[in-house]
Amino acid sequence: MVPWRDRAGRLSWLRMAVLAALAAPAAWVAWKYANGMLGARPANAAVREVGLWMIRFLFIALAVTPLREGLGWTRLLDVRRMIGVAAFVYGFAHITLYAAQESWKLGFVAAEIVRRIYLTIGFVGLVGLMVLAVTSTDGWQRRLRANWGRLHRTVYAIAILAVVHFFIQSKAQVSEPIFMMGLLVWLLAVRAWPRRARLGGVALALLGAGAAVLTALGEAGWYAFRLGVSPLMVLEANFRAQGFRPAWGVLIAAGIVLVLALVNTGWRRFRAARAAA
Amino acid sequence: MHYFRKRGWELGDGAATPEAVFRTRRQLVKALAAGPVLAAAPVLLTACDGKESSNAANGATASAADPSAHLYPVMRNLRYRVDGPLTEERHATTYNNFYEYGTSKYISQDAQQLRIRPWTVKIEGAVEKPFEIGIDDLLKKMPLEERVYRFRCVEAWGMTVPWSGFALKALVDLAKPLSKAKYVRMETFGDSSLAPGLRQPFFPWPYVEGLSMAEATNELSFIATGLYGKPIPKQNGAPLRLVAPWKYGFKNVKSIVRISFDEERPKTFWEKMGPAEYGFWANVNPEVAHPRWSQAHENVLGENRRAPTVIYNGYGEYVAGLYKGMENESLFK
Ligand code: HEM
Repeated sequence: MVPWRDRAGRLSWLRMAVLAALAAPAAWVAWKYANGMLGARPANAAVREVGLWMIRFLFIALAVTPLREGLGWTRLLDVRRMIGVAAFVYGFAHITLYAAQESWKLGFVAAEIVRRIYLTIGFVGLVGLMVLAVTSTDGWQRRLRANWGRLHRTVYAIAILAVVHFFIQSKAQVSEPIFMMGLLVWLLAVRAWPRRARLGGVALALLGAGAAVLTALGEAGWYAFRLGVSPLMVLEANFRAQGFRPAWGVLIAAGIVLVLALVNTGWRRFRAARAAA
Repeated sequence: MHYFRKRGWELGDGAATPEAVFRTRRQLVKALAAGPVLAAAPVLLTACDGKESSNAANGATASAADPSAHLYPVMRNLRYRVDGPLTEERHATTYNNFYEYGTSKYISQDAQQLRIRPWTVKIEGAVEKPFEIGIDDLLKKMPLEERVYRFRCVEAWGMTVPWSGFALKALVDLAKPLSKAKYVRMETFGDSSLAPGLRQPFFPWPYVEGLSMAEATNELSFIATGLYGKPIPKQNGAPLRLVAPWKYGFKNVKSIVRISFDEERPKTFWEKMGPAEYGFWANVNPEVAHPRWSQAHENVLGENRRAPTVIYNGYGEYVAGLYKGMENESLFK
């Protein structure tokens, strides 16, 4: 079965679009690499770009279920596997490029993975993703039966490892990993919500708003702990324009979900009304 | 037992055609090819740095606003030699750490908001008489020269670039510190209208760095005001920045507005940011890993390869003696 055909063997526009979207960043990075457009340290720039796409894809894969259930976009399930496998493929590229950055000294790479906690954490996460990618096939799904679901729920633990890796490798500025942490809190809250399947889009967005508040508090706590500055001052920074603020990032994501939910409901009502008329 | 220690200016056995001479010959040919430029700028020949002939032409437009443009290029001091090629200028000027403009490496465009004239430097603390001096007056007083130095960032990358400027010692002499001065504290501008990063209130701005008096008066310590035979670009720390090539790059404070001679060791920006990872001395040492990565090697900018890192970034013969008897200090972070 090729990835752009659905289970019935029909050409699927959704699958094709998703596949193209998954391949595009890799193609773009490869093109820049090949054309000397990655600057003074191309291997390192590629490690970083690919790492960022990897964590984005991982999170998008995690968002499929809430969006499917909250917005009733049932067809999304069809592409979840593809997105998850892509996250693993990007992870493989990420570690391979890291080896390239270190002039392919594989012994050194292995020693660093053991010695540096953020690499150890990333490595455990990557191995985990590999297991999930390999067992993502229909065959494995059948073979593992009920255990398959249990195994694949470890993707949440992997996401935690990924964010921790992202966080620890940051030098001073932790806005992006804190933003990802906020999203993860949101995803975990949805996952843990009693009767999750009945959460509507609006409830989903409200949980996101809650996660945004926690993000702001978490950020303030981190800088207070790390730099001894007043947490109030960090909170206040959210109300003055200055670059990317993680809590706003989460809130905007929640806002987008809210808009989608409203449009979705409106559209359903409209269709129901037309059908009735 | 005694042994012979080779000093920096002596030629290595294999260095029949030293890099500098080789380059100069090629540059001369290029300079000759650029006939009109050569005629207009006889200084190029005396400067032994005709490489910049083409840059002198288009650099004139780029730095037309910089009143110090006519000062460069300046004579290269061949006492400080580096084996291997220079880093390409486009890499040294587009891969920069300058947190006042954000934490990415690609801040060279954003840094153009920095206004570098008028620019005054305050000299204060334990000196005979505190004073302020404008950058152009300072440049007139200082003996300008070019030095090719290796540069090693704490993030395990390195480059080799030609700085123009003057020995920090000359500035210390101008400042006339009192004998009680033990440290030189240097500070970057803190005016947030010049750099948006300064509006991130939780970082301990302004950027502060420092050297001990012995380090500051060591012959290697240099104030760079130019790079590649032109006024130093804003992203590299215009109009003046420190270069202490045996230390990790973060010691080399950029765009200095205040220099004070202190009795107390200054608390630096990075000591405040992460005392477990960044200290005051920050001397390069391949054996002492950063907690999060190895320092044994460095990525060479523009070359997509890594090279072994050398203790004191290869400048041990000049500076190792500074740290005799200080073995209990954390000299290497
Ligand atoms: C779940 C698995 C992983 C994820 C999601 C992940 C993701 C990321 C992300 C998002 C970054 C930051 C990029 C940036 O801010 O520009 C990063 C940095 C990095 N990752 Fe990973 N990574 C994973 C595993 C690994 C592994 C297994 C290795 C190597 C053994 C590795 C090596 C690195 C390195 C060296 C950096 C820092 C680059 C630098 O700052 O110079 N990662 N990773």
